[in-house]
Amino acid sequence: MAAYGGALADALARAGSTAGYLAPGAALGALLLAVALVYGRGLGAALFLGGATYLAFLVSEEHHRVDPTAPLVAVLLLLCGELAAWSLDERWRIEGDAALLWRRGAATAALALAGLTVAALVVALSAVPSGRGLALTVAGAAAAVCAAGVGVMVAGR
Amino acid sequence: MTGFTSPRLSAYAAVAASGLVAGLALGRVEPVALAAPFLLALVAAVAGHKPQVSVHLSLDRERVLEGDEVTAKVELASANGVDRFELLLLLPPEVRVEGAPARALHLRAGEEQTIELKLRCDRWGALSIGPLVVRARDILGIRTWEGQAGEVQRLRVYPAEETLHSLVAPLETQVFVGNQVSRARGEGIEFADLREWQPGDRVRRVNWRATALRGSLWVNEQYPERNTDVVLFLDTFAEVRAEGRSTNDRAVRAAATLARGYLQRKDRVGLVGFGGVLSWLVPESGTRQLYAIVDTLLTSDIVHSYAMRGVDVLPPRTLPPKALVLAITPLLDDRTAAALLDLRARGYDLIVVEVSPLELLEPDPESSSQLAHRLWRLSREALRWRYEQLGVPVVTWREDEPLAAPLEEVNAFRHLARPA
Repeated sequence: MAAYGGALADALARAGSTAGYLAPGAALGALLLAVALVYGRGLGAALFLGGATYLAFLVSEEHHRVDPTAPLVAVLLLLCGELAAWSLDERWRIEGDAALLWRRGAATAALALAGLTVAALVVALSAVPSGRGLALTVAGAAAAVCAAGVGVMVAGR
Repeated sequence: MTGFTSPRLSAYAAVAASGLVAGLALGRVEPVALAAPFLLALVAAVAGHKPQVSVHLSLDRERVLEGDEVTAKVELASANGVDRFELLLLLPPEVRVEGAPARALHLRAGEEQTIELKLRCDRWGALSIGPLVVRARDILGIRTWEGQAGEVQRLRVYPAEETLHSLVAPLETQVFVGNQVSRARGEGIEFADLREWQPGDRVRRVNWRATALRGSLWVNEQYPERNTDVVLFLDTFAEVRAEGRSTNDRAVRAAATLARGYLQRKDRVGLVGFGGVLSWLVPESGTRQLYAIVDTLLTSDIVHSYAMRGVDVLPPRTLPPKALVLAITPLLDDRTAAALLDLRARGYDLIVVEVSPLELLEPDPESSSQLAHRLWRLSREALRWRYEQLGVPVVTWREDEPLAAPLEEVNAFRHLARPA
C-alpha cells in the first residue's frame, strides 16, 4: 500500500488544479489494492488504475517535458504488485526455512533494481535526438522485436 | 506436474502492453518507461524452467498402536533445482502431523534432501498415508507446477488396549485343555470333592487321610482345566460420535482387549461384526487369530443400513454351542437388541457390555429436548431390565472408567444371580 501510495502521491501533489480529477481514479485503485490484499483478486486492475492515473497526470500537464520520476513510479508499481503477491503467498501455513524469505526478498529487490535501471535507460535514450544514425534505428527495431517476442512467449506459456 | 502461471503475470502483461501502446499513441516516453519493469518481470517469468523432482515417501513402521508416533520420511532429489518446493502430506483425519502440515524448501540442482514428518495416530484403523501434494515455484512465485507424488503408504494403527486383571468366566467350558477350571468333574489339578472308591479308580487318587478316618477307600475328585469358546459380538449398526470420540472407537478397543485376554488363556475366540456390513471370524486360538481379529476390527466401521437382520444369517460355526457371547454394543439399534435376545433364547451364555453413549449426548438444559432425552433414557432402562429378567448381565461401560470395572460387575452379578 505504501509503494502504491508513494507512486501516486507525487503525481497528485504535482498535479495542482487537476488533482481533483485524478484523485478518484487513484482512490479507486487503492481500494482495489486493498480488496486484492484481503480477497486475493483485483491486483491487476489496481496496478492498471495506478498506471492510468499517472498517465492522466502526464497528459494533463501543460508543458511536455519528460518526467524524470517515471522510472521510479514504474518500479513502485511493480514493487506493489510483487509485495502484494508475496503477502498473499505467505498466508498459507507452510513451514519453511528463513533462507527462502531472504531469497525471495533478494529476488524482488534485484527485479526492482533491474526494472529501475531499464526504465531509466529508456528515459535516458529518449533524450537522444532521433535520426542519429543506422545503429540507433537498428537497436530500436531490435528492442521492439524483443518486446513482441516476449509477448508471444508469455502468451505461449 | 501441471504448470500454472500467477494471475499477476497476465496483469503485468496487460500493464506492459498498455504502456507500450500508450507510448506510441501519446508519443511520450514515460508510458514506455512505465512498461519496462513489467516487461522485465515477464522475461524473468518466461526464463523459468520446468523442475524435475523425484519424490519418495516411506514410513518407519507399518504397524503402530493408537497414540503412537510414526515418522514419514520424504526423500527429494532434483536434477535441475527448484527455487521453492512445497509439499503437503495427505493424511486421514485419524492422523495429525506435528507442526505445520505443509513444508517448503529450496532444492539445488543435483541435491538430495530428506524431510521427516512426525505423525501422531489418534485413532485406530487401516489408514492410507499419502500421496504428497507438491508444488514447485520459481523464485518470484510467478510460475507454479503442481501435482501429486510419492506412493500411498499403508499404516495399520491398532487400538490401545485396556488393562484387565480378570476376565469373565464362562458358565460352560469346552472339551479341549485350557486354563479355565471346568464345572464338570474329571482329571485335573483343582480339588473338587471326595467320594467313595469305585472299581476303575486309580490308586494315586486315593485320599489316604479320608480313608483312614472313615475306614473305607475314598478318592479325590478334581475339576479339569478346559478351554472355552468366546464370541465377541460387536454392534456396528449405529454409534454416537462427538468431538472426535465415539462409542464404536471404545467398542473396538474393548473387543481387542478382550480378544487378547481370552487368547492368552488358550481360549478360542471368534468375532461377529453385526451391522450394516456383516463380518465374522470362526473361533480359533493362537496369535494368528489375535492378528486376524485385530485386522478385522480395524476395518469395522459404522455402515448405516435399513436391512432387517438377525443372527440366523450368521454361519453356524461362528456361534458354537456353549460359547460365551460377549456383546459390546451402545444399545442404540433395535435389530441388535432383538438379535441378542434371540441368542439368549437359543441358550447362549450372553453378557452385554453397554458402551455408554450418554456422555456424548448432553441435551441443552434450556431446550425441550430434555424431555425427549429422559424418555430415551427410560427406554434404555426398560431394555436393560428386559435382559436382566432373562438372566443376561448388562453392564455399562462409561467413558471415564476402565473396562475392568464393568467386567467385575459381571462377575458380581454372576455370584448373586442364578443363571436362567
